[in-house]
Amino acid sequence: MPIKSATKPVSVNPLKVGQPLGGVLALQGMYRSMPLLHGAQGCSAFSKALLTRHFREPIAVQTSALQEMDVIFDADRNLEEALDHIWSKHHPDVIGVISTALTEVAGVDFQSRVKAFKRERALKDSLLFSISLPDFHGSLETGYSSTVESLMDAVLGLAGGKSPKKQRRTQVNLLPASYLTAGDVMEIKDIIASFGLEVITLPDISTSLSGHLLTGFSPLTRGGTPLDSACQMLESSCTIAIGASMERPARRLTHAAGIPYHLFTGLSGLAASDAFIHFLQKISREPAPVRFRWQRENLLDSMLDAHFYYSGASAVVALEPDHMLSTAAWLEEMGVELKRLITPCSTPALQKTEREVWIGDLDDAEESAQGVDLWISNSHGRKGAPRAGASFVPAGLPVYDELGAHTSVSVGYRGTMEWVNKVGNVLLTERGKGG
Amino acid sequence: MEPAVSNGRLEVSCGKKIPKSTPCPRPVPGEASGGCSFDGAQITLIPIADAAHLVHGPIACLGNSWESRGSLSSGPELSAYGFTTDLGEQDIIFGSEQKLHESIRYIVSRFAPPAVFVYTTCVTALTGEDIEGVCKAESEQLGTPIIPVNSPGFVGSKNLGTRLAGDVLFQHIIGSTEPEQTTSHDINLIGEYNIAGEMWHIERLMQQAGMSILSRITGDGRFREVGWAHRAKANMVVCSRALLGLAVQMERKYGIPYFEGSFYGAKETSYSLRQMAYLTGDRDVERRVDKLAAREEMRLSLELEPYRKQLKGKRAVLYTGGVKSWSVITALQELGIKVVGVGTNKSTAEDVSRIADRIGDDAEYIPEGGARQILKTVRSRKADMVIAGGRNMYMALKEQIPFVDINQERHKAYAGYDGLLSLAKQLVHTLQHPVWELTAKLAPWEEETEFAD
Repeated sequence: MPIKSATKPVSVNPLKVGQPLGGVLALQGMYRSMPLLHGAQGCSAFSKALLTRHFREPIAVQTSALQEMDVIFDADRNLEEALDHIWSKHHPDVIGVISTALTEVAGVDFQSRVKAFKRERALKDSLLFSISLPDFHGSLETGYSSTVESLMDAVLGLAGGKSPKKQRRTQVNLLPASYLTAGDVMEIKDIIASFGLEVITLPDISTSLSGHLLTGFSPLTRGGTPLDSACQMLESSCTIAIGASMERPARRLTHAAGIPYHLFTGLSGLAASDAFIHFLQKISREPAPVRFRWQRENLLDSMLDAHFYYSGASAVVALEPDHMLSTAAWLEEMGVELKRLITPCSTPALQKTEREVWIGDLDDAEESAQGVDLWISNSHGRKGAPRAGASFVPAGLPVYDELGAHTSVSVGYRGTMEWVNKVGNVLLTERGKGG
Repeated sequence: MEPAVSNGRLEVSCGKKIPKSTPCPRPVPGEASGGCSFDGAQITLIPIADAAHLVHGPIACLGNSWESRGSLSSGPELSAYGFTTDLGEQDIIFGSEQKLHESIRYIVSRFAPPAVFVYTTCVTALTGEDIEGVCKAESEQLGTPIIPVNSPGFVGSKNLGTRLAGDVLFQHIIGSTEPEQTTSHDINLIGEYNIAGEMWHIERLMQQAGMSILSRITGDGRFREVGWAHRAKANMVVCSRALLGLAVQMERKYGIPYFEGSFYGAKETSYSLRQMAYLTGDRDVERRVDKLAAREEMRLSLELEPYRKQLKGKRAVLYTGGVKSWSVITALQELGIKVVGVGTNKSTAEDVSRIADRIGDDAEYIPEGGARQILKTVRSRKADMVIAGGRNMYMALKEQIPFVDINQERHKAYAGYDGLLSLAKQLVHTLQHPVWELTAKLAPWEEETEFAD
């Protein structure tokens, strides 16, 4: 199906967020790391505030704090000063330097400055890498996956390009997409581990943004993948990528160390969960633990219970590309008519889907949601949905007006069941109103 | 234009005539926090509820920032819409003035707003787009004011952005319309953003005393009413040192006296109402304010009694900006709370001297350092709680320190007499919440357990 886009000259109620935000998010999943946004102060202040509101957690991020004259004369001086400050004060394990629209348009060669800094300081045990993420391309998802790709390159570089001495049959890598919540990542890790497999996750927000109570303040990330674990990814027997956007970082490992990857475009819905469990059974050579038999039956039973409320229902889904496809998949299983699928930017995965997809904003969602039962988007849709007469279910990022959004689970049998019930309840309540 | 001293109004102005402006220190790369000038300009102007606010730049500037403030509107919701030209690579390479033209026309034809504010961002400033030219052309073409806001992020701090927005109001809007009717008791509120509906409390109080708000600048404001602000009898600068400049300019050009005040705490509220009444020059209004203040303070004192008992002697670290750094101190003191630490990083020299008037040397001054310094002060001064903005909230919670949000994202109104009661209740509920005991307890497997044989 062709990808369509709205024809307005202006974006009204945007669904899109900048790529650098995705980069900052990815780096929250590395232990003791610090994303450094190379741009004006606002670029990092907005990112920090937005992620803080969504996750209800402190967010690690810093800025090169560019001002007009710095941009005109020497933006890199600020960058070096920022690196100096961060390095000498906090000794992070990982620093990711992320460009912004400002530094991209100014055309500064920050990447070579980062390399020079690395050489001069002989940063051997730490990871310092740079990544080009202008705001005028892509969105959160592309920023996140590009950052994971660069991170992977940097990890491979740290390993010195040597092939691993040994390969562990029972160790697998997990590359979770940007839309997966801290709760989702924890659930996926748990499912994999229940097959007797050891899993290394990159990045891992489930240990940094799921709500821990570590005391002792630090401006760095307090959880996530430790650097040495990341290096051990080269010894794994395979890589599991969740979300089409994670295919490229997964391929990096295949090229560098010959580790095969398996892509799951999503893990929500019965079919997707079945495929995942079946795959884990195959690679672990273990039978599926009994609890999944139960969970599968629970899910099917819930789907039966809920189908009354879903039947005949229509929905508008406005989410980042991978998230939208995965949400569409389970809604289709529930017989929902997908009135319109809207996403902020085009990705290769969208070219392949059979569904009709629109590149647009929440204003397009509002227009197409007239007379529709359900509206699924980030919190910015809260006002538009009632104007269109649709019930609103928040998902994606940011969700700031609901507690626990970042730990809710939508993957696997259990997560699918949670969402079937959650959305089913919204539809049920609407029916109760006689609508 | 020289200040019109001859009309005798200048003497009654209570603020400084010309705010001292010290150059803002350069932010330290790698250690900076806080927003940019674009942020400040948006914050100041977006509360004008019926206008459209169009951000001309790549997505992040608006995409990452919209709907993040708690300013409420009693009617129109257009300013809650996010409009951006969302520039792509082609737009940046080949120029996006045409796109801006089209965007403005689209917004005007579809939403028919009384005005469109067009915000410059770092990228469009850097590529040298003629935004003023576009705005001028479209204003003439469409007959709708299209107002350029030249405050890209990289020109400086959030405060500077607020000041630049004040200039925009002064140069493009104030004096552009005339009110249907005026009274001798018309006051403008400047720098009141109607966070959590605070302005509505204040408006009720003013009405009870026989005064009215002529222009709300800008909380719950309307474009036309900002235009007639020059017909007010007095200006009250509620918050933000940056908009003080606007009051000064209005005094110079229109001879409107101004004063700086706050509505946090009963004392400050009474003071502010008295100042307003004084500047209207109407003895009757002054008497009404006296009565109102006496009655409200009495009522409040009775209602506060149970909360005061529980708050007496509690120690707080206050970390907020500008006017709130001193006005909230008064409110807390009225509740019997001792302020043992106070942030001064966004305060002027004047603010700091006001802080000193209130707490002297009893408290630690925290000029910079954010979360780390706040925590240090909490520990060293044995504070019971932190009162600050959302940015530092989760830091406090992780350390299991009771926290009360005082800044713009909160959902409770603390202004006026009723506001002080709300604040007292919030503080007591926070301090006495059972969660503090629960989180302090160890898990059973972490406790040393002796197993009997």
